[in-house]
Amino acid sequence: MATKFAYTWSALLGFALVPGAALGNDDVIKNTQASGNWAMQAGNMHNHRYSALKQISRENVKDLRVAWQFSTGVLRGHEGGPLVIGDMLYIHSPFPNKVFAIGLADQQIKWKYEPKQDPTVIPVMCCDTVNRGLAFAEGKIFLQQADTMLVALDAKTGKELWKVKNGDPKKGETNTNAPHVFKNKVITGISGGEFGVRGYVAAYDINTGKQVWKAYSTGPDAEMLMDPDKTMTWTDGKMAPVGKDSSLKSWEGDQWKIGGGTTWGWYSYDPKTNLMYYGSGNPSTWNPVQRPGDNKWSMTIWARDVDTGQAKWVYQMTPHDEWDFDGVNEMILADGINVKGKPRNVVVHFDRNGFAYTLDRNTGELLVAQKYDPQVNWATHVDMKTGRPQVVAKYSTQAQGQDVNAKGICPAALGTKDQQPAAYNPTNKLFYVPTNHVCMDYEPFKVEYTAGQPYVGATLSMFPAPGSHGGMGNFIVWDAGAGKIVKSKAEKFSVWSGALVTAGGLACYGTLEGYVKCVDANDISKELYKFKTPSGIIGNLNTWEFKGKQYIGVLSGIGGWAGIGLAAGLEKDTDGLGAVGGYRELNKFTELGGVLTVFSLP
Amino acid sequence: MVLLAAPAVAADDKLYQVADGNKVDKATLEGWRTWRALACERCHGAKQEGLVGPSLLESLRRLTKDEFKQTLMKGRPEKGMPNFDGSKMVTENLDGLYAYLKGRSDGAIQPGRLEELK
Repeated sequence: MATKFAYTWSALLGFALVPGAALGNDDVIKNTQASGNWAMQAGNMHNHRYSALKQISRENVKDLRVAWQFSTGVLRGHEGGPLVIGDMLYIHSPFPNKVFAIGLADQQIKWKYEPKQDPTVIPVMCCDTVNRGLAFAEGKIFLQQADTMLVALDAKTGKELWKVKNGDPKKGETNTNAPHVFKNKVITGISGGEFGVRGYVAAYDINTGKQVWKAYSTGPDAEMLMDPDKTMTWTDGKMAPVGKDSSLKSWEGDQWKIGGGTTWGWYSYDPKTNLMYYGSGNPSTWNPVQRPGDNKWSMTIWARDVDTGQAKWVYQMTPHDEWDFDGVNEMILADGINVKGKPRNVVVHFDRNGFAYTLDRNTGELLVAQKYDPQVNWATHVDMKTGRPQVVAKYSTQAQGQDVNAKGICPAALGTKDQQPAAYNPTNKLFYVPTNHVCMDYEPFKVEYTAGQPYVGATLSMFPAPGSHGGMGNFIVWDAGAGKIVKSKAEKFSVWSGALVTAGGLACYGTLEGYVKCVDANDISKELYKFKTPSGIIGNLNTWEFKGKQYIGVLSGIGGWAGIGLAAGLEKDTDGLGAVGGYRELNKFTELGGVLTVFSLP
Repeated sequence: MVLLAAPAVAADDKLYQVADGNKVDKATLEGWRTWRALACERCHGAKQEGLVGPSLLESLRRLTKDEFKQTLMKGRPEKGMPNFDGSKMVTENLDGLYAYLKGRSDGAIQPGRLEELK
């Protein structure tokens, strides 16, 4: 357990562990000495979702039972998970974004915070009013509200310390992402790719809320904090400068101003390189015909200096997106991954487009890009020299054209994986990935932009991957060095819950029916524990220790994109029944309602 | 009363024209295009059957045309319904949208893609 705490916090604190460093994180250091915290949404800054706790093990997990439960009192989709620091647990809710501080000793609410938000923000939230959780640092809880207000609360009392407005909901800008604290900054993004928002990330001082830098995904170099000569990208098999106006040249006219590239995923930070990693989302609109060009730098993996925001390197995964394959999914940092016989320090990313990417995280070199679902068909492969996916014309909604229904595209817009974060086990260097197994028909059509109104421009119909096991999800183990699936476990519905992997030999995740499942990390086909929570799970499993006992906690509360079951039949009454029918079957298993369930051994 | 009711019935008859379930008059077609462009299916379902938002097959049986227009223009933000008074497409095609949804609610227009009635 001490290992776990040291592991987490050495990553968290980075240079601040050096005695006498300018950032006196004394309070944080003291907190870390109570072992078994889960102090960031992903457990650490490398986005591992791994715990060295091993009291709950593959041998005894069958005896797991519910220790306590807590209702958030909110319906709709509950993403993210609980934070635990010392004897306190902090949990959030979807809109209206309540925050509860719960004492672990008596499970009493020590304080509660409920912001007042204008309800007009609800209609401009694309895929449900989710929130992916809180951040903690230096005795402060950070909440990123739906209406874009970023708030710092006193972790002891819940008192507001500062708040700052990060965006404008009247333009369709909202927030769903968790804030991330790297060094002395709290970093946040923006949602609204379906409203023609121009994406950005912004860094705020954790003590004052003052904006330190803001960097757009599209537009002039200066506004993207991009240096034409120093910001590098993969070009003809090597890294080369992006050059002047790399974004502007890749759009027609002013479309980049409403061009998307939003940033609502899970970021990571490497103290060794001082770089933060995140992805940008789909270009707007979803109708590719309306936006000729590569639409840089939507759909891109970014590495930025956390102090200045300057982009060190970029890699665009899906140039000129035609399928809504947002690039926002988590960036996982792993050391010593064996790529062609050489150990590399890498960033691993499971993209919505169905390819899993392994890049050198210092230089940005493209090392591996392979399908992590064999059903992926929109591209044959990624050309390793150009780094570009080789698109299949039949599945190109651009080639098929406006008002044509391109059929049988895999994966569907919600991707082989959406935001549900994977876990990384540093002991066996394997990734545990919750995935979707869904395909689609996609018909783009022309749309006009109006600020604050939906700007989508495509009708979609989704259905379980044909010719497969009939289910809409898989839980897989992935080798990021070889680019290969090690093992795949079929699931009835998309696995829309963040995974957890532990030194106890367990990999755990939730399902849309509402089950918490723990499987043997060495053989995920062995289901060792299963428990039905009160609602479908789109939250992430976290674990911690309190008074010598290990706990596992998860939010249930169906909702989000999968829960809404977005699907649109186009031609005949029966079209689209796959997705609507498939996800609709969830009605047999679950209803709305947010509950935190905490498990332990007897 | 009979005299007053008769024109109303006639007006209802002209609300939309439909053949084969998927060929409709120009205004109703524009109503469907408006439904599609504003991504209404995200909340109300591809067949207006209701998802996170209510079933419009039901609602259109209940709402008067004025109530319908009011809901579109002002929204019901606390329930997640946006106000569309800022959308040129909606304000220009409000009657056609009403006609389309009424036709869906009546069961006269089928879900999915529509064509213009020639």
